[in-house]
Amino acid sequence: MSAVINSTQPAAARASFVPTGSGLSFIGLLRSESIKVWSLRSTYWSFSLVVLASLGIAVLMAFAMTSGVDSAGAMGIDNDQLFVMVATSGLSLGQLIVAVLGVLSISGEYSSGMIRSTLTAVPNRLPALWAKVFVLFGFTFAVGLFSVVGSFLVATPILGAKGMTANLFDVGVILPLLGNALFLGLIAVFAIGIGTIVRSSAGGIATVLGIILLLPTVVALFSLLVEWVADIVPFMFTVAGSEMITPTTMESWQAFLVVLAWVVVSLGAAALLLKRRDA
Amino acid sequence: MIQAQSLTKHYGSKTAVDAVDFTVQPGKVTGFLGPNGAGKSTTMRMIVGLDRPSAGSVIVNGKPYHEHKAPLREVGVLLDAKAVHTGRSAYNHLRAMAATHSIPTSRVHEVINLTGLESVARKRVGGFSLGMGQRLGIAAALLGDPATLILDEPVNGLDPEGVQWVRKLTKQLAAEGRTVLLSSHLMSEMALTADHIIVLGRGRVIADASVADIIASAAQNTVRVRTPHTAALASLLAQADVTITNLEQDVLEISGLTVNEIGDRAAAAQISLHELTAVSASLEDAYMKLTQNEVEYRTGDTQTEAEVAR
Repeated sequence: MSAVINSTQPAAARASFVPTGSGLSFIGLLRSESIKVWSLRSTYWSFSLVVLASLGIAVLMAFAMTSGVDSAGAMGIDNDQLFVMVATSGLSLGQLIVAVLGVLSISGEYSSGMIRSTLTAVPNRLPALWAKVFVLFGFTFAVGLFSVVGSFLVATPILGAKGMTANLFDVGVILPLLGNALFLGLIAVFAIGIGTIVRSSAGGIATVLGIILLLPTVVALFSLLVEWVADIVPFMFTVAGSEMITPTTMESWQAFLVVLAWVVVSLGAAALLLKRRDA
Repeated sequence: MIQAQSLTKHYGSKTAVDAVDFTVQPGKVTGFLGPNGAGKSTTMRMIVGLDRPSAGSVIVNGKPYHEHKAPLREVGVLLDAKAVHTGRSAYNHLRAMAATHSIPTSRVHEVINLTGLESVARKRVGGFSLGMGQRLGIAAALLGDPATLILDEPVNGLDPEGVQWVRKLTKQLAAEGRTVLLSSHLMSEMALTADHIIVLGRGRVIADASVADIIASAAQNTVRVRTPHTAALASLLAQADVTITNLEQDVLEISGLTVNEIGDRAAAAQISLHELTAVSASLEDAYMKLTQNEVEYRTGDTQTEAEVAR
């Protein structure tokens, strides 16, 4: 006896389909955003440029330093400060690249329509923004740290030829380098906020670069006309960013709070608008 | 199951969706029809929370979409084929979508195979044809093996094989007990695919019934007659409830009489017929009749150059 299997009969219609399986999680969102970051060529270009600009300019700076002067003391700074200055000299270019990358990471979703896929997967919306912020901050910080430490290392033999030395793990060296990497990551986060608010690549990039490059100059110019404006110069995003690393008019932690305030305002407005607007 | 209650969306002073109520049942393919600008896409966007309703509500599988723990497993949606970053490959797009819900990569490969994208999955989406983009959109919609599918114009840009595939797929998904809401402007395709039809016009539901009921209520069956004696036949058949239209020189379209009645009377009057065909009304006829007053963007009568110049 063999059982008769009727394979031609179609599957019986079910009354309703009940979905099963894993659901939305923040870990999943972080993974998703990482895949997004590393599946675009522009990420590789941008991060490579950050590293190359940092290393290249550090080498040039190191040679420039050693051709003119014979010791850091001649410039009124100590060796640690000299090494930090050389190692971070290329990072201002990196800051611009990272700012553009931050804007594009979200404005690119708007211009391509990807945002609709993202927001149907994450209908509460804000977790998707936070995941993007965490992921881009993490990678940018890592790339920034790699750049400045790398720059320190390539500058070491050049400066060493003139008898100048510094230890990477001296507090006077490693802390400013970490601070630079931190500020680089925060620029990316700030730019994500602006990109989310503006929703356009051109507008977002113009706004962020305007705030980073033009605003301090414009405010400084105004301070020539109106005296009290000089007091707000240190509160400009990039000015506070450098105050955070090499304090002159305020304490490091105060400058850090100013930087954080810029980031919080940008992200807060972004979150509010993302939640409220139709996508 | 999708349930909309007084669902309304205003854009400024314009009302895109005007207090619509409808239910999309599981186990059936429901066709969503309406002229351009009738509010179909806006309604679909509100179902998945991309647009916030101005008033009213819509719930899907028993809850507002954003309250689901695993939205992609509840609803798969294809709103337009362009909801993908053009710089990313199809494979990576699907992987990024899957990762949000910890859907395994094996499922990504499954939907790639299912939609026939194997050969282009590693290519960047920017270079995709419209049809490939549609297939990717459908693949993304199927990723979570969802209970409800919302597909806006899924056959747009697909080749005939692809159109047939979508027809089979949607019918099969509905047979598995899923809810399938499908919009299309291809009436012949919709007539073959859908079990139930919801027609929107200017943001309102103007019909919500089975395909057969829609056709029966809105359009009449007609008879097509070819004869050299059209005038004689027309005067012979003329009566109150009969409409006779002269389609071509020797062709009449007659409604209100059956094929048998026309054939018998013509024979009795010794009028020779060269063709006598019953023409059953199509969904397209019914749709045109339903929406004739609801079309927002009507094509103008074509003017000749001479008329324009005058």
